[in-house]
Amino acid sequence: MSISMALFSPPISSSLQNPNLIPKVSSSLLSTKRFSLISVPRASSDNGTTSPVVEIPKPAAVAVEEVPVKSPAESSSASDNGAVGGEETDLGTAATVIKFEDAKWVNGTWDLKQFEKNGKTDWDSVIVSEAKRRKWLEDNPETTSNDEPVLFDTSIIPWWAWMKRYHLPEAELLNGRAAMIGFFMAYFVDRLTGVGLVDQMGNLFCKTLLFVAVAGVLFIRKNEDLDKLKDLFDETTLYDKQWQAAWKEPDSSTVSSKK
Amino acid sequence: MATVTLKSFTGLRQSSTEQTNFVSHVPSSLSLPQRRSSLRVTASRATPKLSNRKLRVAVIGGGPAGGAAAETLAQGGIETILIERKMDNCKPCGGAIPLCMVGEFNLPLDIIDRRVTKMKMISPSNIAVDIGRTLKEHEYIGMVRREVLDAYLRERAEKSGATVINGLFLKMDHPENWDSPYTLHYTEYDGKTGATGTKKTMEVDAVIGADGANSRVAKSIDAGDYDYAIAFQERIRIPDEKMTYYEDLAEMYVGDDVSPDFYGWVFPKCDHVAVGTGTVTHKGDIKKFQLATRNRAKDKILGGKIIRVEAHPIPEHPRPRRLSKRVALVGDAAGYVTKCSGEGIYFAAKSGRMCAEAIVEGSQNGKKMIDEGDLRKYLEKWDKTYLPTYRVLDVLQKVFYRSNPAREAFVEMCADEYVQKMTFDSYLYKRVAPGSPLEDIKLAVNTIGSLVRANALRREIEKLSV
Repeated sequence: MSISMALFSPPISSSLQNPNLIPKVSSSLLSTKRFSLISVPRASSDNGTTSPVVEIPKPAAVAVEEVPVKSPAESSSASDNGAVGGEETDLGTAATVIKFEDAKWVNGTWDLKQFEKNGKTDWDSVIVSEAKRRKWLEDNPETTSNDEPVLFDTSIIPWWAWMKRYHLPEAELLNGRAAMIGFFMAYFVDRLTGVGLVDQMGNLFCKTLLFVAVAGVLFIRKNEDLDKLKDLFDETTLYDKQWQAAWKEPDSSTVSSKK
Repeated sequence: MATVTLKSFTGLRQSSTEQTNFVSHVPSSLSLPQRRSSLRVTASRATPKLSNRKLRVAVIGGGPAGGAAAETLAQGGIETILIERKMDNCKPCGGAIPLCMVGEFNLPLDIIDRRVTKMKMISPSNIAVDIGRTLKEHEYIGMVRREVLDAYLRERAEKSGATVINGLFLKMDHPENWDSPYTLHYTEYDGKTGATGTKKTMEVDAVIGADGANSRVAKSIDAGDYDYAIAFQERIRIPDEKMTYYEDLAEMYVGDDVSPDFYGWVFPKCDHVAVGTGTVTHKGDIKKFQLATRNRAKDKILGGKIIRVEAHPIPEHPRPRRLSKRVALVGDAAGYVTKCSGEGIYFAAKSGRMCAEAIVEGSQNGKKMIDEGDLRKYLEKWDKTYLPTYRVLDVLQKVFYRSNPAREAFVEMCADEYVQKMTFDSYLYKRVAPGSPLEDIKLAVNTIGSLVRANALRREIEKLSV
């Protein structure tokens, strides 16, 4: 709550310190948070809850118990009773924040007329601009506003623009890998067994190898993909296992609590 | 009529007229299993008739699950005792109930503070999509205050004949034999707040654990643990002109800043809004997520005052054991909260009712002792009816709450009318509606398209960061 008090205590003075403080603090908070997605969440000093995870519900539940004792009294009395102190926190009046601004971003969407090149819309630059906007917002989340709603829909960009930019280069890469693997596998099998390429295609084992090679190239593109696929498989079956757990227990008197 | 007491039971139950048709089939106990398998078996084991009393069942916890269970038990002729530790408890809760709950539980319309008919989904890049265009005139999501709803259900249970006790359940002694009673130890407060209360014990034949996410009943039957999310919520009173925007509209914010695996929300309550968020994997950062949620809604809640801060755990999946002998768990204690939407009130009340119905049926309106088989019927019925719903919501959560691109795709998909219709149909009426196959194929193609585009943009973003 101390953070909220600091950020949202009424900045009636439009001093330069306040508005600049807000985006810096929020961006530092968010940049630490972004890394925390990958690594273990760091218990930053801003964050009041540093206790281990298991204990959180109990203190939170206990803390809540004390609040209701006070809040019925204070919410019934007029809300301009500021004497209660920490219980009622003002969200403050407007403070100026850096917002996303771009000459081509008009009325909550990209103005396609400004992206014209040689008389046709340059979809590539639309895609890049939208990516820039999303990156900006990830680093500096903005408030939504009813006066300036965001209306952009990525489906206005035609499918062939996406295809040319993303699918084709990757397809080229994967086909290249498959071709190289195919060529060398055909060579080695021929060397080892004497079976030529045409005869290899007629053999079931070789056809299976071919299938495995193609699937491997498609699904395993980085070293991490092997683990990712295994985790994905576990994930799809986990929820079902949790539900079926009630039916698995044999009726035994000695039961240990397990997940 | 022979007075068959519990301990000296030696044969078939004999007194009710509907079973006289196979009383004559009793040459010896050996041939019983074969013959009984062809007849409708109402108990998995021949349970004796209770001679001079009705079946006694205790319901621990007086929320929606406990209230619904106690009412159904009392109406079924069973001696019901409902133990609730805090009669005026304001459980931290989103407070949304689907339309079918109003009908199924005969809720009076005055306990619903607001009828939400519009929702706004807001993506990480603030693309906002309005949903609710497909709702018909009479359809809405009801927003209730938990203290009002819980009190109403408990009152109804009391009117049906249940005894409501203000007390805190401490522990229970398990019975030695299959038909001995459970001994419950509890502290009775008798309406005095802040007092220490008197320790008491009670003997009952069966227990329904409806005491919520930190269930003590679950602990005493070794039900096992579950993963849980922390839901953190601030109630904010905003100026009247801003409140008109939220008159019948609720908002859902998705994004890594708001929650890595859940969503942030602004739900309108009786005269204020509740702004909150939740997470399973990053519980330590919940305050940061709450700040981010408030930041995203800042324009719309500016000038508001925080009147209350609350938090509560929400189960993510059912406990490994949901029943043990004659103790069954219902509601949050069992872990019946859906993924993706985090909905729990309706499922709590429905599971309380279903469990109570199984007990009423198994005991033949309180005349007979029950055993674990009767309670297993409640689990079977529950899993059969609602497992598809839970599975679908789990898949939705896995696919669409994974990452920012997935969330962008999610919000894009929500703009589609067919999606809205399907979503609301399944939410309001709790059935996985089939829909038309052609539209399903179009939906699948559009979903894949949205996901591909959003992921492509993410790759672009990564290229920019390098």
